[in-house]
Amino acid sequence: MSTQSISTASAGAFSVSGLMIVVASELAGAAFLREFLLAEDWRYVVALLAAFGVALVVMQSVPAIERRIENAFAAQRRAATIVAVLLVFAFPFALGGNTYALHLCVIAQLYAVLALALNFQLGSANIPNFATGASYGIGAYASALLALNFGVSFWLALPAAAIVATLSGFLLGLPSMRTRDSYLALVTIAFGVVVHQLLNNLEFTGGPNGLVGIPVPELFGHSFASPLVIFGVQLPSQANFYYLSAVLVAISILFAGRLHNSRVGLAWNALRADDLAARCQGINTTWYKVLAFAVDAFLAGFAGTIYAFYVGYISPDNFTFLVSVTIMTMVIAGGMDNILGVIVGAFLLTLLPEKLRAFSDYRILFFGVTVIAFLMIRPQGIFPQRLRRYGGH
Amino acid sequence: MEAPVVLSGEGLTMRFGGIVAMAEVSFELRRGEILGIIGPNGAGKSTLLNIVTGIYRPSSGEVWLEGERLNGIPSHRIVSRGIARTFQSSRLFTDLSVLDNVIIGRHSRTRSGVFDAIFRRGRADRELAESAAIAEELLKGVSRDLFDQRHRAAGELPQADRRRLEIARALASEPKVLLLDEPSSGMDDADTDALMDDIRAICAARPELSMMIIEHDMRLVAALPHRVMVLDYGQKLADGPYEEIRRIPRVQEAYLGRKAAQHA
Repeated sequence: MSTQSISTASAGAFSVSGLMIVVASELAGAAFLREFLLAEDWRYVVALLAAFGVALVVMQSVPAIERRIENAFAAQRRAATIVAVLLVFAFPFALGGNTYALHLCVIAQLYAVLALALNFQLGSANIPNFATGASYGIGAYASALLALNFGVSFWLALPAAAIVATLSGFLLGLPSMRTRDSYLALVTIAFGVVVHQLLNNLEFTGGPNGLVGIPVPELFGHSFASPLVIFGVQLPSQANFYYLSAVLVAISILFAGRLHNSRVGLAWNALRADDLAARCQGINTTWYKVLAFAVDAFLAGFAGTIYAFYVGYISPDNFTFLVSVTIMTMVIAGGMDNILGVIVGAFLLTLLPEKLRAFSDYRILFFGVTVIAFLMIRPQGIFPQRLRRYGGH
Repeated sequence: MEAPVVLSGEGLTMRFGGIVAMAEVSFELRRGEILGIIGPNGAGKSTLLNIVTGIYRPSSGEVWLEGERLNGIPSHRIVSRGIARTFQSSRLFTDLSVLDNVIIGRHSRTRSGVFDAIFRRGRADRELAESAAIAEELLKGVSRDLFDQRHRAAGELPQADRRRLEIARALASEPKVLLLDEPSSGMDDADTDALMDDIRAICAARPELSMMIIEHDMRLVAALPHRVMVLDYGQKLADGPYEEIRRIPRVQEAYLGRKAAQHA
């Protein structure tokens, strides 16, 4: 009797402190991001990075802390989601009308979607796809062409472009299945180059000049070009796209999480570990690889559409091979097959080059060094892959 | 009355370029039977398993499973027809949990696709939970010790447990025929004894299950199989109960070595 009451009491204490851990770490994350976005002085940026690094080192050297936080989030999933949604909603208010910071948030969120898309391949199934940038471009061009030539609204162009991108993903996936490893990577690189060349040379895509004057989306009569007023507070027009891309990130997380914890995610992980053994468990490895290409292209198509309507002007140079490499760097640095890790990687690698403008000429070098450093020091990325949990284990 | 034939091969020949890895091998496996396959390295034992599981396509000859011709059927479909296997050097999904390994073994008995996973979550979750429950039962049946370690990464298991896990994973697809490729390789005598007990328990629980076991350990070959087939240079040398085949001089020569044959 007494032991029972003690155990309930300690369980209660655990859930309260668990909730506190969840709220505290999410607040800390949001505060860190805010500081990072608003930082002007490069020395402050470096100091923030150092703090981030120290936190990582502490987590790695004292695994108990990491496990405690992980368990708290696992136990308080609903609360964690609610707090995260509230924070994402409130975040633009905390930026004090800084349009540039808000713009960076939009771009970072679009890259987070792209990184989550690539993670299905690179992380779950270990398929080195260097064509995510091309799928992004196909989505952007498909929606822009629909809007400019046929007057299709943004909300219709969004799914249409995703379908076009998915079909192109299948198109890329099928020939890729005749190859593997580095040859597969070469096929995807070639695909990316072909797409870029086509966009550059075709008449109807506007050639190197791209497409201009993509109409601004509207929702219930509210133009996305006008400032957003919530609770009497006026937010810059970028806030429209901030919330739109946040919704897309949320959908991507939902997709990624559900697929990861499903028969499909298990099949991808199986063929990543051992292709032959996977086939001998009844997994049609060719089909699952093509499927990974299609899912990647689907999400990239969405991101491309939002990008096109956000900036209103797209050209082939927005979707080069370098974009694909950037996305790949985000996945590797963030943590393969870890949803949170990939998003952190995307934010970090979008914001860092912007904040350290002094080094902007060395952007490619920076990505190269990042990849090499992570592969050497922490090959599993900032947040490594976790074993699946079943029934509270 | 003899049990019906489940799996059979007729005139199986496998050529890699000019090399003949297997020549005109025929065999039959009856329901509930354990067939041992022995032979020196390079005799074609693993080649035979690879042909049966569809990894290799035989140059000529046919494989039949309960009246269905298996030639040309890709290996992932052969699993759902009812043939499961383990590998000589264990090929587990080392970065996944023990339980996940067995759940993946049920791939051919489950259906959920991308659409179910995203939009029909209840159905996909139920199926996965069901698979997890079946996988836990299987692990319990194969080894209690393995069941206790089900949330560890498969790569952290000791060698003997890896073999057990591979067998559990293969059983998860509810096979009619189970092919074991050198299950005792890399094990000491105590581990091999435990493995033999496990295999006996598995057979006792599944009287319909037929098995083909490639083995080098003569203690296991003497004790488990009802019948032993001897392969040498890709050809079938003998086929019969262990007591008979061990007396054939060419078997002793081919398998135990010329010197041992002279001493015997």
